[in-house]
Amino acid sequence: QVSELVQFLLVKDQKKIPIKRADMLKNIIREYRNAYSEIVKRADRTLQEVFGLQLVEIDTKRHMYILINKLPHAEGQHLCRGKEKEKMGLLLVILSFIFMKGNSVKDSALWEFLHLLRVYPGKQHSVFGDVRKLVTEEFVRQKYLETTPIPLTDPPEFKYQWGPRAEKETSKKDVLNFVAKMQGKDPTFWASQYSEAQAN
Amino acid sequence: ENREAMLNSKSNRLTEALEEANRLFDGVCRAREAALDAQFLVIASNIGKEKANELHSEMSAFDSTAFAEDLLTFMGINRTEVEETDDSEDVPGGFLPNDAWQTMGQEAPKYFRRAPTFHYMMGSFKSELPVRKQRIERQKKASRGKAERAMPAQLKKMEESHQEATEKEVERILRILQTHFENDPNTPISFFDFVIDPNSFARTVENVFHVSFLTRDGLAKIKLDEDQLPIIEPIKPGEGGEEDSRAGARNQVVISLDQKEWK
Repeated sequence: QVSELVQFLLVKDQKKIPIKRADMLKNIIREYRNAYSEIVKRADRTLQEVFGLQLVEIDTKRHMYILINKLPHAEGQHLCRGKEKEKMGLLLVILSFIFMKGNSVKDSALWEFLHLLRVYPGKQHSVFGDVRKLVTEEFVRQKYLETTPIPLTDPPEFKYQWGPRAEKETSKKDVLNFVAKMQGKDPTFWASQYSEAQAN
Repeated sequence: ENREAMLNSKSNRLTEALEEANRLFDGVCRAREAALDAQFLVIASNIGKEKANELHSEMSAFDSTAFAEDLLTFMGINRTEVEETDDSEDVPGGFLPNDAWQTMGQEAPKYFRRAPTFHYMMGSFKSELPVRKQRIERQKKASRGKAERAMPAQLKKMEESHQEATEKEVERILRILQTHFENDPNTPISFFDFVIDPNSFARTVENVFHVSFLTRDGLAKIKLDEDQLPIIEPIKPGEGGEEDSRAGARNQVVISLDQKEWK
């Protein structure tokens, strides 16, 4: 059962959409429901010891899980399908912007910023295609970003924050370091962001 | 209305509106008016919350325009050339190369602990692969050598289909296993002794492949001995049955063996 679950998780993780406990129970564990937590625990151990990955629960109410990498990022080229790396680039830029602006930004502010990078919601991008869809749907579905409507706005406006996957896969510290690197400054230059990152 | 004006941190419009609402409420005598007042309060408090949020986000001033400029620089923008696009009116000039986001894509993964996506290398086995034919021929040579430790005989040309060839192999291996067991019924063979070919890693892998068929079909079983090492023994035809359909039937094991280990 454990190896079946491990395979199931690895395949399910391909799209980076969180895995529901219900799916695990229905497809793999089935009759062994009582042993569920034991099976999951062992699967996590296998994932850690064999693949260097970790199963993390990101929603304790609705029981959703993601796989993250336990090992620190190794230098060197990595095989990546499709536009994975470029998307990560865009995502990192967005996450940085959100954090440096106080952990929450209005959608209009975000698009205004991306505009400066020649990325427009209404225009097909040579690398990202439909950027609006990528940001508002794909990144949100993958739990990298979280979007909440701002009440009583007409037309409806949204605010963007880090999603639970972003919280687990990276950190405020890492992101601040990225910003500092890009701007050629020391992370302590932004005092309150720096102390928030340290406290994280 | 006037939401933006109220949000402006320097304006007191919100306070003034609240004060006016207070005054008006004294004149209220109908339920509908009270409801309107309540509605106004909700909107006012939301605006108040937003204002508070914006206060917090002032934090250490972060110049996003400068950040964007630095990002473009990192991505290799050429500011001496001017890009011929329609939207270059409100966007700072410069030619952004095609691999701009690739450059960013090289840097970004360093900041994430993202699980590499798992993909099967070649998909599932198909039984008719032309490559298999040659490998089976060599496999036959080697296995015979294993059993007899004699020089392999000349191979005749293989005419059977590849599917049958695999089945024949599996049968042969089963017979070898059974023969060994007949001679020495109480000593199960170490799995690794059975499958490893000291001369060829590729044939070792093939042997594992064929043995897996035996276990799948319930003709052999693999257990762990006292030292937690795997051993293999054939299943007598009468055995198995009920027991297999419960415990043995749905076990999966992943055995990994790379060239270094094999050596």
